[in-house]
Amino acid sequence: MTGTEAGPARRIGVILAVLGLAAGPVPLSASAAPTPVPPDTSAAVPGGLVSPATPGAGPGSSAPPSATDPARSRGADLFLRSCASCHGPRGEGTQRGPSLVGVGPASVDFQLSTGRMPLDQEAAQPPHRRPAFSAADIQAIVGHVGSFGGGGPQIPTVGPGDLREGRELFLAHCAACHSAAGVGATLTNGLVAPSLDRSTPVQVAEAIRVGPGLMPAFPESILSPAQVDAVASYVQHLRGDRLDRGGASLGRLGPMTEGLVAWVVGLALLVGVARWLGSRAGR
Amino acid sequence: MITRWLLRRLARSVDDRLRTAPVVRRVLAAVFPDHWSFMLGEIALYSFVVLVLTGVFLTLFFAPSTADTVYTGAYAPLDGARTSAAYASTVRLSFDIRAGLLMRQSHHWAALLFVGAIVLHLLRIFFTGAFRRPREMNWLIGVTMLALALFNGFTGYSIPDDLLSGTGLRILYSVTQSIPLVGEWLVFLAAGGEFPTDEMVPRMFVSHVLLVPAVLAALIAIHLGILIRQKHSQFPGPGRTENNVVGSLFWPSYTVRTLALFAWVLAVTFALGGLAQINPVWIYGPFDPAQATSPAQPDWYVAWGDGALRLFPAVEFRIFGQLVPSPFLPGVVFGGLTFAGLYLWPFLDRRHGRDRLAHQLLDPPRAHPARLGFGVAVLALFAVLLAAAADDVIATILRVPVLDVLAILRVLALALPVPAGVTAYLVARALRANGGRGVGDLTRADVRSAGRLVCVGSPVGGAPTGIGTPEGTAEPVDADRVELWRDRTGLWRWRYRGASVSLTANRAYPSRAEAERAARTAYGDLSVWEVAPPGGRPGAPAAVAARAGRAAGRVGGYLALAAVAFWRARRDRRR
Repeated sequence: MTGTEAGPARRIGVILAVLGLAAGPVPLSASAAPTPVPPDTSAAVPGGLVSPATPGAGPGSSAPPSATDPARSRGADLFLRSCASCHGPRGEGTQRGPSLVGVGPASVDFQLSTGRMPLDQEAAQPPHRRPAFSAADIQAIVGHVGSFGGGGPQIPTVGPGDLREGRELFLAHCAACHSAAGVGATLTNGLVAPSLDRSTPVQVAEAIRVGPGLMPAFPESILSPAQVDAVASYVQHLRGDRLDRGGASLGRLGPMTEGLVAWVVGLALLVGVARWLGSRAGR
Repeated sequence: MITRWLLRRLARSVDDRLRTAPVVRRVLAAVFPDHWSFMLGEIALYSFVVLVLTGVFLTLFFAPSTADTVYTGAYAPLDGARTSAAYASTVRLSFDIRAGLLMRQSHHWAALLFVGAIVLHLLRIFFTGAFRRPREMNWLIGVTMLALALFNGFTGYSIPDDLLSGTGLRILYSVTQSIPLVGEWLVFLAAGGEFPTDEMVPRMFVSHVLLVPAVLAALIAIHLGILIRQKHSQFPGPGRTENNVVGSLFWPSYTVRTLALFAWVLAVTFALGGLAQINPVWIYGPFDPAQATSPAQPDWYVAWGDGALRLFPAVEFRIFGQLVPSPFLPGVVFGGLTFAGLYLWPFLDRRHGRDRLAHQLLDPPRAHPARLGFGVAVLALFAVLLAAAADDVIATILRVPVLDVLAILRVLALALPVPAGVTAYLVARALRANGGRGVGDLTRADVRSAGRLVCVGSPVGGAPTGIGTPEGTAEPVDADRVELWRDRTGLWRWRYRGASVSLTANRAYPSRAEAERAARTAYGDLSVWEVAPPGGRPGAPAAVAARAGRAAGRVGGYLALAAVAFWRARRDRRR
């Protein structure tokens, strides 16, 4: 019988140790990350995500000459300041970052316009953020990276697509990871298929062609440009609360959040009412 | 004035023909206790009423068929698409029919509240011992209604034929299929073929709107009929005995209160249905066996089964050459054990407490630390299982690997129930010992003394349950005295002990002080002695022998199984 007294304490210790082990590596890896030089954002337009209509613009064609070195183009200047420390001065890659030779303009534009690059701290999977550069700067960097070597998917041009076809394609190709509601879901090793709530049509199309991270790439032999347009327009339809006709979306996370609301709101309220009615009895 | 006259005429003419007056009088004069926890079952009752009302509306527009249809309507992304009639009609119900979405969502919210209220009601019955004689029958009916509610919730969630519920249906199909020998036959019988079949939606529809609701309605009627017939149980208190019920009359005071509750249930379900989105099937898309959506979970009331499937390691083995697939243990066996435990509980509790008496007075939960501890341990396990069903959501939100979440939940499922149960047990003992004060008043000394009692060992021996039976005395005592002891169930009893006779008081008390006060009221001039429970441990050698016999039987069984396995292995090798 004495064993039951020591048992819980030991078990709680084990649980705490397991929790600590699981949570430990996260802050460790975060603190070890180098902080790159903050890029020149004085020209950045907030939220200015213009769809680049001229893919692969030549380096320096529109960029003003840099203050530090008038001979260098804007794209090269930004690349050397914000990207070269990891990807190498000619994009050849280092131990800290992969090679950018031949990745294609779509990939570079996707990473920069979703704010995933440049990294401000090392992360297994950088989240979607506000982009660090203006649209013009991104265009300049894309052009500069394109000068390292050819190939790779170009930035797609996205037009209006068929919603019904987009819904069917999304459910067939995307819903298994990004969830039918577009809110994202967990993958292996703590990676996630991100929520699509902030993805513009061009970014959706770029991701389809490039396949960033664990996502598979869908070349034109699998999804035609018209089909990509359809998926992109359905994703736009999923964004926001346009489809939440039934009221508060509860994060569109599915039945468990609904069950939580049923208990925390519905049943708590009704039990409170029962208590109140019971307390009024006999008056 | 005229309505009153009309009503009186009507009542009299009905009574003339059917002689309803005695029954109606009995119902109207029924006394309902005022404690709020007696209204939990009524929340379930009124949720059921909401379910029937909204459900009737839904059946007018739902097409229970998997036939190919083309949806045309207000939902643009589905406009012109070919889907099953069930799915198309559900989307049409949500987008094109006036108040359709409100009705559909209120129906679904009412279903969640219905099962939740049943569970709360069940917990109240469990922890206060209201299932004891003479109310075992109503407990069995209640557990049956819980099982039917789970089943009907699942079929209702599945018939829209959407992607999310189709995944759940596939899981249930596989779990049923995993039953050795009969599983395959059972699923073919139920679904009419290999998953997915065209029969499933129509069959589930018939069961959802006709069979199960009819049985539920009948069981509710019996449940309430038994309640009226047996009268309410009640919590102990001043003026409350085993022979009366203190509370409000059904008519008029309780009627007003219960109608107020009905109005609240209507208000809450429709407010949720109008303000909070539930099961947006238009976003999930129609079911296609080749597709999936993630994160995916079932509704909360079956999520414990899904959580068990996710947590339990994938164990497959063979018995006599029959493969037992991995969903069998967590799916079929665990679910079966859960409901078997619920069905058998009144009888297990009776055996454990050696208490066969009829009880009209309820126990405060603290009066039975063992029951409380067991219940809390089981609740802790089910809470972990519910969390496990949402492991993908937890992993997404916390950005941690889903397998780590699973591992931690596995540890919790094994490690959490016992400490939770032991804590509840100790707190209950401490509360009982300190004489009816609240949890906030507990001191460390109270808890420590409760723990010490556990170490010493729970009091042994069968408590004398006879009412004032004179008992022979084993050894004579010097002078008449009053003896106090704590019985097997942890309650305090006392008896008068004379030179040649002893008289046991017929009441048990939750605390020593109360028992002593009662004894002093009767025999103020006698000294009070605290003694070991009389009777000793009856038949201790017999109990040891029985336990040894059981152990021997178990070992023999294992040995026989091992021998059979060995023999089969040798035979296979020879081949």
